[in-house]
Amino acid sequence: MAEYLLPDSLSEATEIIAEHGRALAIVAGGTSAMRCGTCRGKHGRGILCLECPGPRLVSVPNAAFVMGIQRLGLDGVAPANGGLGFGAGLSLSRLQASAPIPALRAAARQVGGPALRNMATVGGNIFERQPYGDVAVVLLALDASLTFAERDGERSQTLAAFYADGAKQGGLLTRIDCAAPDGEVVFLKCGRRRFNSPTVVTVAVCIALDGGKVRRARIALGGAGAHPMRCAAAEELLIGAALDPTSIAAAAAAAADACDPATDVVASEWYRRRMVATYVRRALGEIEQGS
Amino acid sequence: MASEAPKAEALNVVGQPVKLRDLKKHVGGQTSYCDDLRFPRMLHLKMHRSVQPHAKLLAVDTAAAARSEGVVRVLTHADLPGGELWSGLATVGGAGDEPVLASDKVRWKGEAIAAVVARTPEQAEAAAAKVKVRYEPLPAVFDVEEALAAGAPNLIAHWPGNHYIFGDDHAAAQIRLGDVEKALAEADRVVENVYQTSPIEQAPLETIGCVAVPDGDGRYTVHTGSQSLSSTLKSVAAYLGLPANRLRFVSGSVGGGFGGKADLAVEVTATLAAIKTGRPVKYRYTREEEMFASSTRAAWRVYIKDGVMNDGRIVARKVTTYHDSGAYLRMSNYGAMKHSTHWPGPYTVANVWVDVYCVFTNRTPSGAMRGFGIMPASFAIEVQMDRVAKAIGMDPWRLRLLNAYRNGDMRGHHRAVKDAAMIETIQATAKLSEQNLTGDLQSLSSWRQKAG
Amino acid sequence: MTAKILSLNVNGRDETILCDGLTTLQEVLRDQLGLLTSVKDGCTQGGCGSCSVLVDGELWLSCLAPVAALAGRAVMTLEGLKQSAGIAAIQQSFIDNSAAQCGFCTPGMILTVKALLDANPEPSHDEILEALSGNLCRCTGYLPIVEAVKDAAARLSGGADAARASEGREG
Ligand SMILES: Cc1cc2nc3c(=O)[nH]c(=O)nc-3n(C[C@H](O)[C@H](O)[C@H](O)COP(=O)(O)OP(=O)(O)OC[C@H]3O[C@@H](n4cnc5c(N)ncnc54)[C@H](O)[C@@H]3O)c2cc1C
Repeated sequence: MAEYLLPDSLSEATEIIAEHGRALAIVAGGTSAMRCGTCRGKHGRGILCLECPGPRLVSVPNAAFVMGIQRLGLDGVAPANGGLGFGAGLSLSRLQASAPIPALRAAARQVGGPALRNMATVGGNIFERQPYGDVAVVLLALDASLTFAERDGERSQTLAAFYADGAKQGGLLTRIDCAAPDGEVVFLKCGRRRFNSPTVVTVAVCIALDGGKVRRARIALGGAGAHPMRCAAAEELLIGAALDPTSIAAAAAAAADACDPATDVVASEWYRRRMVATYVRRALGEIEQGS
Repeated sequence: MASEAPKAEALNVVGQPVKLRDLKKHVGGQTSYCDDLRFPRMLHLKMHRSVQPHAKLLAVDTAAAARSEGVVRVLTHADLPGGELWSGLATVGGAGDEPVLASDKVRWKGEAIAAVVARTPEQAEAAAAKVKVRYEPLPAVFDVEEALAAGAPNLIAHWPGNHYIFGDDHAAAQIRLGDVEKALAEADRVVENVYQTSPIEQAPLETIGCVAVPDGDGRYTVHTGSQSLSSTLKSVAAYLGLPANRLRFVSGSVGGGFGGKADLAVEVTATLAAIKTGRPVKYRYTREEEMFASSTRAAWRVYIKDGVMNDGRIVARKVTTYHDSGAYLRMSNYGAMKHSTHWPGPYTVANVWVDVYCVFTNRTPSGAMRGFGIMPASFAIEVQMDRVAKAIGMDPWRLRLLNAYRNGDMRGHHRAVKDAAMIETIQATAKLSEQNLTGDLQSLSSWRQKAG
Repeated sequence: MTAKILSLNVNGRDETILCDGLTTLQEVLRDQLGLLTSVKDGCTQGGCGSCSVLVDGELWLSCLAPVAALAGRAVMTLEGLKQSAGIAAIQQSFIDNSAAQCGFCTPGMILTVKALLDANPEPSHDEILEALSGNLCRCTGYLPIVEAVKDAAARLSGGADAARASEGREG
């Protein structure tokens, strides 16, 4: 049995977090956190359960307290400083309908089916276990930053640093911000079927061209490691180069080399690595074609 | 023998659209499935299952589970009244080999060991997780041919070579027509291949389940989603030592079966629990149990050796099949029989030799699924036909039409073909897929003498 | 005490329910509120869509929704939609196109189609496939289901004529 807490303000929410610490789980849409069937993660040996043995980012099931974020006013789209800003509690169907960048709308649209997207939130997607986190991969390519509410104020961290740091749980994510992209952004998802597919790999690229040469490159991968990851080796190869089939092939090969995908029920490590190369090539190719 | 197809207009149902009777209830959400039934004081049963694929059970400690919140009863092998070995076909002549709850040994990962009956499903699951089992792991075997090899660990004493024994003491279900070895020796070419299928879970949307309800007069009503109502009733009666007239089985709408609800799965334990507690007991698989613990379509390995003439005639077909039964028999012998009689497929081959083994391995017991035994045969046969065509450089349409069976031809199991429609089906398919068949192929018919 | 009593609007009525922090909407609908069993339990993991309901008109998966978060919101199941606009035409289209076999997925399908047509009265073939992508039919009767959606869309946008035609077919 877990007690449900539904705070009305950020200060109330941060008090709750400070008070209950590790005994508390934050549940936004619940589409990942509630996915435990009847077991709620309490199983020992001898019970067949898909959720219990696997690694989870946070153990919602063992929490004595569950905190909802529905009344914290985190479900808005609030651009700050001319950039893009999203409340952590924004649903993916609203992101799909309202995001100003097509790549973000495309990523939102490819998460699960329509009912799932009505419930799932952008914030929840950031904390999602791999290979999921489709939206997070685009946000990573946009070099987004996260804002966490704390008892004595706010704390900000780039999304890249958050993942490099092991995606630590505990704080209350309130918003996700990024500057308006100064280049082309493309998101591609390799799945098992056309709609509502589990993720094999996802690729998001953000490329700024200057006189035919790449001035800035950000390449983000999902399903390719323990967390969504930036691919520095591939980015470095592109910077200063012309975006052409040769540089694209080199970047794709570098991405496949640098990634560290897992084998699971959706795909093998072998297949994922090849799909990273293929989808990085296709994503960059789309930008090359468009330029 | 009919020489012409009957006219569709003369028939009331064949060829006429017929509406499913329950459509109206379905679209209103009013159809009630087994999982939708509720009874006063109903209890819930959850299972503690083996985490080992093959092991001796040294101890099963249910004390902590029994003390757990909401628990009314814990059942183990000791609670069964004897005669506790069953298999799906035991009541129609097969041999029983599977305990309802494991006694001395477990033979697959997921085998039922102890059942916990509690007031809510959550309480039953939490308590079932507290059952403590001490295992002594035994060497396990996961491949059919390794299981048959000398020195393989034996699963069930009753099946010494790890295979089922068909009537007359045969290790395999056998088909013999003509002289295969002679025909193979005389053939222009021999085309040999091996085919392997994988287990498939039927995955009905409604998982397997039943509710056993004491009627208060020593009788029990069991509401179940089973596809095999009467044989399940007989099995429960046999394994619980009850006269059949103490049991009433009620079926209803089934939320998908596809063969996955043909095996005896939950009814014995649920009825036993209803007897022991005097209360209605519901036992419904979770989605995980459905995926991991219910019978799957089996994995089959099929070796084919065809003798072929350069003009396209297949003169010999020699087949050895290993059906992976998993740890217990269930309906495997029936599936193997169906498989054997399907050879040589919808083709006429004068010399046929088939051996089908039901092999026991430490994998999830397998069972029926859409076209039990037939699907793996058809898969192997049709891929083989393409390979034969390639080997002799013949168009695969021609190869199939030349060898297609016709009325009156002899099948592998010595039955004459009736009502063949293979040639006409291929001809119609060719037309729809804009494949031009030459005149000699277009003039072939299932009803006329064989051309060429 | 971690269990809470709260008020939830279901099918137009305020109901009092008992729940803890992890109780799902599905459990409450199926077991507490007089057996609203059109809400099915197929996977308990958000994967099959057979537990779909409408929350303030939006399609939700009741098996993943913590019910405690829904105080004050309006939940609709197929049982409560009988009088709702368009529902009869959708149901009749499913019947006329034989778009149900075992029927287990059907209530979830109908709610999904209701949500789709409310938002998009003339969906394209692809939009229909996308809208239905969270609902599994293991009898694999997808083609008639897609036909039924097209049929329902035509009846509803065709106005009075189509409605009369669909009533005629009901007999
Ligand atoms: C059938 C199915 C299909 C799916 N398909 C996809 C897919 O295709 N692609 C994909 O990316 N994902 C997929 N998912 C996973 C998941 O639905 C999404 O990633 C979703 O965005 C998670 O958001 P949520 O609000 O539901 O998170 P929740 O389940 O509520 O939370 C997830 C985690 O994030 C934490 N959390 C959430 N919000 C906050 C916050 N504001 N502050 C701090 N911590 C927080 C929670 O504590 C929890 O650990 C699928 C899930 C299901 C069930």
